[in-house]
Amino acid sequence: MSDDSSGLLLAGVGGQGVILAGMIVADALVRAGHDVKQSEVHGMAQRGGSVFSHIRWGSSVDSPLVPLGSAEVLAAFEWAEALRWVEYVREGGAVVADLRTIVPPGSCTDRRSWSIRYPDIDPDLLGRRTLKTRIVDASSTAAELGNIRAANSVILGSVAAFLDIEHVHWEAAIERLVPAGTEAVNLTSFRAGCEVVEASIPPRPADPDGFPGPHEIDIRHEWCKGCDICSRVCPEYCLEVGIDGELALVDAEACTGCRLCELLCPDFAIAVSPPTENVSRGELVASAGDPP
Amino acid sequence: MTDVRDHLREWAMPHVLCPGCAHGIVLRSFLEAVDEQEIDRNRLAMVAGIGCSSRLVGYVDFCTLHGTHGRAPAFATGLKMARPELHVVVVTGDGDGLAIGANHLIHAARRNIDITVLLLNNSIYGMTGGQAAPTTPTGAVASTTPGGNTEPNFDACKLLIGAGASFVARVLAANPIEMTRVMVEGMTHSGFSFIEVVSDCPEYYGRYNGMGGGADMLTWMAGREVGVTGPLSSKRFVNHVPSSTAPPGMATGIIQREERPVFTGVHGEGSHGP
Repeated sequence: MSDDSSGLLLAGVGGQGVILAGMIVADALVRAGHDVKQSEVHGMAQRGGSVFSHIRWGSSVDSPLVPLGSAEVLAAFEWAEALRWVEYVREGGAVVADLRTIVPPGSCTDRRSWSIRYPDIDPDLLGRRTLKTRIVDASSTAAELGNIRAANSVILGSVAAFLDIEHVHWEAAIERLVPAGTEAVNLTSFRAGCEVVEASIPPRPADPDGFPGPHEIDIRHEWCKGCDICSRVCPEYCLEVGIDGELALVDAEACTGCRLCELLCPDFAIAVSPPTENVSRGELVASAGDPP
Repeated sequence: MTDVRDHLREWAMPHVLCPGCAHGIVLRSFLEAVDEQEIDRNRLAMVAGIGCSSRLVGYVDFCTLHGTHGRAPAFATGLKMARPELHVVVVTGDGDGLAIGANHLIHAARRNIDITVLLLNNSIYGMTGGQAAPTTPTGAVASTTPGGNTEPNFDACKLLIGAGASFVARVLAANPIEMTRVMVEGMTHSGFSFIEVVSDCPEYYGRYNGMGGGADMLTWMAGREVGVTGPLSSKRFVNHVPSSTAPPGMATGIIQREERPVFTGVHGEGSHGP
């Protein structure tokens, strides 16, 4: 490994085009005369896995992996991914982060209120002050230029601003690798990305005042035969049949109103009615408890 | 929000069906279908023969007729001819409709009289003690086939398509929303509509064949569903079950739908008589 090697990290979630973007960066670096190695993982970022592309270049590179705290640039195609991989950037390095937020299913803390645990878009969360940050709204920029799917070229343009590679190499790589027919819009998007101004950060949406309370589950015990179908189909484990065959509502709060128990009760013993009152967000958060 | 329990004869409840028997789920889905069409309860007649499934008509507050074993389609034919303004729905079982009453069923289908037949197929004679029925699968254990059934079983939908039913569908009791949708389609169809509902009999069929209780049987059933129309889609339907891809008895959805002249019992068009 030579001392002049540099690293770059691209991160996003599945389907965003991280892999193709990585190929374009690598191709541009090769054209610029570097020895380049690239490696990627593409697996389920939304479910806790990773979608990233490591690229290292220099006069001679042996390993494609960028060591922690040594990347020249991190390009994140999604806001939470920027926070997740920022530790890979060296002191004084750059972070290009898209404003885009793709909230993973696991961030939902309460299905009744749609409460989610997702970080605010706040450059301070990136931590170190020595970082050069550039927050872009690539999707809007690309959409204005004619094709929202060229958003990654806007991000690559912003990355190019932090790297010492001649633009002719970037543009040749983009032309070679993007899907046929989209070369023009990708090139204009790339050029727009080179000059893009810092995107304005949208304000956090206000929390609604209240949410519907839990559904009401009415059990007619005199009709119930304890067959156990309802408790077996309930996805939230609200119902339980005891050893005495008596049906009990063990967790009324958890009911999301799917009505499976009602629809599959052969004995007409269950009725689920929509909530009649609202609860405040505070009450819901309290009842949801701490994350595991 | 309306409660389908308003249609029940409360004094008759709880019903006689065993714990875990899916017939009650079928009745519930039917009541949802009635509510969805906003049918006046005095203009809905339910006709049944003998058997567990036929017990269902005793619990609903519509015009109900409990006839003789297997003859529900015959009663229904007479009723529809005399009172063509009524919605006539037959509830029958696999033993009632495909053994003793098979003739009445296929001839009602042949005539294409405008009634709806719900055939609740639990693969066994439940009420009389778990004897093998025409729908008991080959190899399955029943009280009369302790070593396993040696006969092949009926595919009710194919039988009814052959007999000329203009609407034929199969649904699973494990899928109540789809069941309601198909029932609405069947009841609004002009002509003979036949809906086979795959139900369960945990007390006999499940017990003899080691299939567990009602919840286990519903899970088993749901795992074997092969949709021929796509879930919740009323736009697409195919005319025949592709036998190579669909295991017998579990291809679900609307299998046959065609417009044919509807039998009214009189010559000429639109003259039902007084």
